[in-house]
Amino acid sequence: MSDPHHAPADPHGVIHDVDKPATLLGVFATVLLVSAVSIGMSVGVPGLGKMALPLQMTFSTIQAVVVLYFFMHLKKADRVVLLSAAASLFWMGILFVLFLSDYLTRAKYTY
Amino acid sequence: MSASTHSPVLKHHFEDLHQQHASERLGMWMFLATEVLFFAGLFAAYTIYRMLYPAEFEFASSKLLWSIAAINTLLLVSSSFTMTMAIRSAQLGDKKALARRLLITAALGSGFMGLKAFEYATDFHEKLVPGELFQSELVSADLELNGMTAEQAAAYKFDDAKHEHWAQELAKHNFGKGPGDEGFISPERVQLFLMFYYVMTGIHGVHLVVGIGCVLWLVVETYRDKIPPENYSTVEMVSLYWHLVDAIWLFLMPLLYLAGAGMHH
Repeated sequence: MSDPHHAPADPHGVIHDVDKPATLLGVFATVLLVSAVSIGMSVGVPGLGKMALPLQMTFSTIQAVVVLYFFMHLKKADRVVLLSAAASLFWMGILFVLFLSDYLTRAKYTY
Repeated sequence: MSASTHSPVLKHHFEDLHQQHASERLGMWMFLATEVLFFAGLFAAYTIYRMLYPAEFEFASSKLLWSIAAINTLLLVSSSFTMTMAIRSAQLGDKKALARRLLITAALGSGFMGLKAFEYATDFHEKLVPGELFQSELVSADLELNGMTAEQAAAYKFDDAKHEHWAQELAKHNFGKGPGDEGFISPERVQLFLMFYYVMTGIHGVHLVVGIGCVLWLVVETYRDKIPPENYSTVEMVSLYWHLVDAIWLFLMPLLYLAGAGMHH
């Protein structure tokens, strides 16, 4: 019956790789810590200027990767799932590259 | 044929539970891909306007309540943790822990929405709302400075303000300047940022409300004994959606609340 510490008999053979609480706790602490660093840096460190945004986005990306890999189980995902996740980022990449190639190449002065 | 063909959880059109779970995951990930693209459009629009109007975005962002956003980050990340722990409970057949962890997840999500509602109410009270409210607040601050010299305006203390209100700060900053002048912060573009703030946090909030509904549905299904260990994937599907909404917040938070954090100094 229900035992919080041991996997039950698995007659259907579908329960494997049960997450370890210590791993999940580590992921949770990491994401929180990175948030604290990002917020602390942005609010507490004067004069970051143009470096603030790239640093913030780097921290957010680290957090998202950790969430995707551990919480969303990409670490044990099938290839088609990995392909779907990668495809969404690739499509998003196309969107950003195309609109930025327009805006970043517009002249800031008039002839 | 594997033993997993005999489970009551198995839908008739799948050969076994492995295939069923794999199909569920693929379907959910394809849906998440559409969600990523949906939000990508918003992030793309935000990127363009922040690139074009950095000063206005910094000014408007500095008026938002980053401390509430920080607490909301804590709530949402905690809810992702309890949601993943709920999958574990489902796999181990621990029904009580499953229901408890799902309820905690829903409570943390509701806490997020509660703080969001408080934040919107505060913004409304401060008239930090695009349109008539914003404009009338700014016009009255402008009128108070009318007829002063630049030195008088810079040194002027607004009567009722313990802290300078955003409209008073903007009126003083723009005093004697007009569109096109160096350092002018365009009120129209400040309102544009506020539109992004309301639309992006609003759409994210709607996603979270849907997520809370799904988690509460899982609680009901748990009590109805519909989630035996071999059906843990139902919890996993909701958790995938929940984590995506969490991950999107991790980008929204710095973009909206920390863009003007440097102006607090």
